[in-house]
Amino acid sequence: MRPIIFLLLAMLLAPLYSALILKVKAFFGGKKGPPLLINYYTLIKLIRKGSVYSTSTTVIFKMGPMVSLCAAVTVLMFLPIAGQPPLFSFHGDVIFLLYLLGLGRFFTIAAAMDTASPFEGMGAAREAYFPIICEATLFMMLVLFYILTGELKLAAYFSEGQPLSLWQTAGAPLLFVVFALFIVLLTENSRVPVDDPATHLELTMIHEVMVLDHSGPDFALIELGSFFKLFFYATLVTHLLCPFGFGAPAANTILFFVILALVYVAVGVTESIMARYRMDKVPQFVLTSFALVFFATVITLEFLK
Amino acid sequence: MTYFFLSLLIIVCGGTISLVLIKHFKLMRAVSVILTAAGCALGLVDACGRIFNATAASTSFNFVNTLTLAFKLDSLSAFFLIAIFAVSLLAVIYSYHYMDNAKKTVRTAGCFLFTSLLIAAMALVVTADNIISFIASWEIMSLSSFFLVVYNYENDENRKAGYLYAVYSQVGAMFILGAFGVMYAHSGSLGFDAAAGLTESAKILVFILAFVGFGSKAGVFPLHAWLPHAHPAAPSHISAIMSGVMIKTGIYGIVRMYDILVWPAPLFGQIVLIAGIVSGVLGVVYALGQHDLKRLLAYHSVENIGIILIGIGLGMIGVAARQPVMAVLGFAGGLLHVLNHSIFKSLLFMGAGMVLHQTGTRAIDTLGGLIKRMKITGTTFLIGSLAISGLPPFNGFVSEFLIYMGGFKGIALNDFDFALSMMGIVSLAIIGGLALACFTKVVGVVFQGEPRTPAAQNVAEKGPAMLVPMVALAAVCLVIGVFPTLFATMAIKAVAAIELGYGRIPLEPFVQWMANITRAAVIVFAVFIIIFALRTLLYRKKSITRSSTWGCGFTRPTVKMQYTGSSYAASILEFFKPVAPVSEAHPAVKGRFPAKTHYHSHVHDIAEVNMGRLVVRPVLFLFDQLRWLQHGDIHLYIGYILLAIVALLFFV
Repeated sequence: MRPIIFLLLAMLLAPLYSALILKVKAFFGGKKGPPLLINYYTLIKLIRKGSVYSTSTTVIFKMGPMVSLCAAVTVLMFLPIAGQPPLFSFHGDVIFLLYLLGLGRFFTIAAAMDTASPFEGMGAAREAYFPIICEATLFMMLVLFYILTGELKLAAYFSEGQPLSLWQTAGAPLLFVVFALFIVLLTENSRVPVDDPATHLELTMIHEVMVLDHSGPDFALIELGSFFKLFFYATLVTHLLCPFGFGAPAANTILFFVILALVYVAVGVTESIMARYRMDKVPQFVLTSFALVFFATVITLEFLK
Repeated sequence: MTYFFLSLLIIVCGGTISLVLIKHFKLMRAVSVILTAAGCALGLVDACGRIFNATAASTSFNFVNTLTLAFKLDSLSAFFLIAIFAVSLLAVIYSYHYMDNAKKTVRTAGCFLFTSLLIAAMALVVTADNIISFIASWEIMSLSSFFLVVYNYENDENRKAGYLYAVYSQVGAMFILGAFGVMYAHSGSLGFDAAAGLTESAKILVFILAFVGFGSKAGVFPLHAWLPHAHPAAPSHISAIMSGVMIKTGIYGIVRMYDILVWPAPLFGQIVLIAGIVSGVLGVVYALGQHDLKRLLAYHSVENIGIILIGIGLGMIGVAARQPVMAVLGFAGGLLHVLNHSIFKSLLFMGAGMVLHQTGTRAIDTLGGLIKRMKITGTTFLIGSLAISGLPPFNGFVSEFLIYMGGFKGIALNDFDFALSMMGIVSLAIIGGLALACFTKVVGVVFQGEPRTPAAQNVAEKGPAMLVPMVALAAVCLVIGVFPTLFATMAIKAVAAIELGYGRIPLEPFVQWMANITRAAVIVFAVFIIIFALRTLLYRKKSITRSSTWGCGFTRPTVKMQYTGSSYAASILEFFKPVAPVSEAHPAVKGRFPAKTHYHSHVHDIAEVNMGRLVVRPVLFLFDQLRWLQHGDIHLYIGYILLAIVALLFFV
């Protein structure tokens, strides 16, 4: 029962946490900013509307939002939250989850290509490019986690016996992993400095330009999917920062949601103090994450094993 | 093995009968297709039964009283036979409507004949049990496929492709013969069993020679240069057979060599794994840069051969390191990928064939919007693309999952094997991402959007004989992806035939992992259905309007403004510039009202470029120096022959 409650809690709170980023950015801009519940209002507004479909599109265009949301929801089902075991878990589930997110990406790109719009094609090409490096980083991370735990499932990393975190022998190399995972988070979720969700010029966008033609409930599904995806990555970072093994579930839960908020605030601060990189500099930025994890693996092998 | 040979007989009969019925074009196609397909079906049923049989069937014939032709059908052979017969069966059915040009009657008859010979020869290659029968069937396979490659010989490019293919396959065969020669010299026996008794240095030599030979057939980088030329030249159902199963005989050769040498040297696994990583990554990078649909698919064969070799290499390293689980995972993953790749690649080539047949072009950037008018082709091609990108819940994911698991077992090993396993894992991840980029490009540019040229407008798909095989293959992609247990068991049964010294391999853990994949796939489907229901609910009584695509304020968009495949791939190719140099040709834009201009880009394959520079030119130079031997004086030529015979008398 408890995993279901945590899953529902995650799904319910994900839009709220995303609004936190907007608040932080508004604070840095010296503005009041939108209310914290803005994302819920937006979702409700979108759900009430109808849709306009381009005459160029096919059924794939309608599949896109559904498949990407499906991938994001399924990933949440395998995610340990606040040190609690997830709803489902099996040996090798991390590989499955990363590829499932790939499936979501495939359909997002396919939906963008369906519109015959030059801008969406441009965004799609970028969306296909940068996550390749992220995947390499994530699998390198799995190699490191396998060295540390001998396991290949998310539950084993964060909710069983000896959870991975900064506060253990391998904590020092894991600090690199936290940074790398943060870079992956920014890239996969189209945040500054990789992509600017608030930019006004279609030419410079990645994710936002791909969903230009979606409207109404379809767009609500996309928004929801991206909130869940950000929640997934932020939770991974949070777990690495703190193991949540205090015995008392209530204390774990509260602490988890506080640290999670800090991760979102960190995203907001990054967005506020950094500018977006030029497109051809982005791969170098993302590659940094791979280098960090690779370095962490070398350190672990040389000094900790 | 009676049924096996009976099926081959029916297949070859189906091919030869087309020569008799040459006057009746339609009847010829029908009879030939039905007979060949029936033979394949019989062989498929027989092979399915064989794979669960622990004891191998063997038989031998005496050929012209001097040579023995021995054949053995164990579960490894049966596994490859399943792929060969299944793909050939569907490809032959597909050819009924594909080969419908009544003007080329004789040539079509020839195509049916050589197709049947190719199928029979492939089946014989994977069952051959001594040097003679192997080489004989190998050569029949190479030659019959050569004639299929030059099917459209009027085209200069196709003749060149045929020539290149002939050179590569004969040089490859020379290396294989070299390996067999070393085996024979050391053991004095033509049988494969004798290879186990070789000295260790001889075994290394044999394996490396055989790896080069089989690698050139399989399309391992840098010996793949024939592949992207020959596959587009052949008719599409032949491309499906060649890319789907014929190149896998190279993989079979490597695995069988490893099997008969019975020596788990770590070196073998390391060679195979490194070759796999290089082929896998470079194959997909070059694929991304292609403008020709069938060439692109051909490069993906190089990539997938790489994935298969990564699996097999991990398996060999596992054997050497005494890690049974890793060994079985690696081999089973690699072999299952052989089957999976044969399914989705033949599906994709058939889809490309339909596009080529109906639009008359293979150029990706001239197509667009085909899925609207070719619903079945487009949908099955999409499924094939998802499968080849290794995404769940399709079959490509299952085999890659097994290979990943094998790779992670290798993480526990020491030093060099650890580094190789890690590289294997990371490169698999990169290959997966690049394949996704490449197939979103193909699907997006060819099947989605709007038609870019008149060629892509007003086309329709036709021919149930072409559509049914594609639907069947797409269904198999999904079935293996959701219920992989049976197929993984078959792969493990095939591994059991390889001489690893494990006796009986326990199936339980593997079945458990496969059941997990089924469970996960069911979860995904359940979530999807819920979301689908939710979406339907949200759209109840909503106003749906249709309008043109948002042009960001631009009021007169044209189809020419769509993103092209070349620009889609450009930034990724930029990243891989050192291994995939791109040359561009376009005149500078001049004046305020520039005239019509053009742009051309070409990705250079470094293997192809350097093969000419480093291998072909030195060889030509060497033979130029020997020109004086060939002077045209017939008396001296007879003298050469006499000298050779005298010399042979002394030495043999």
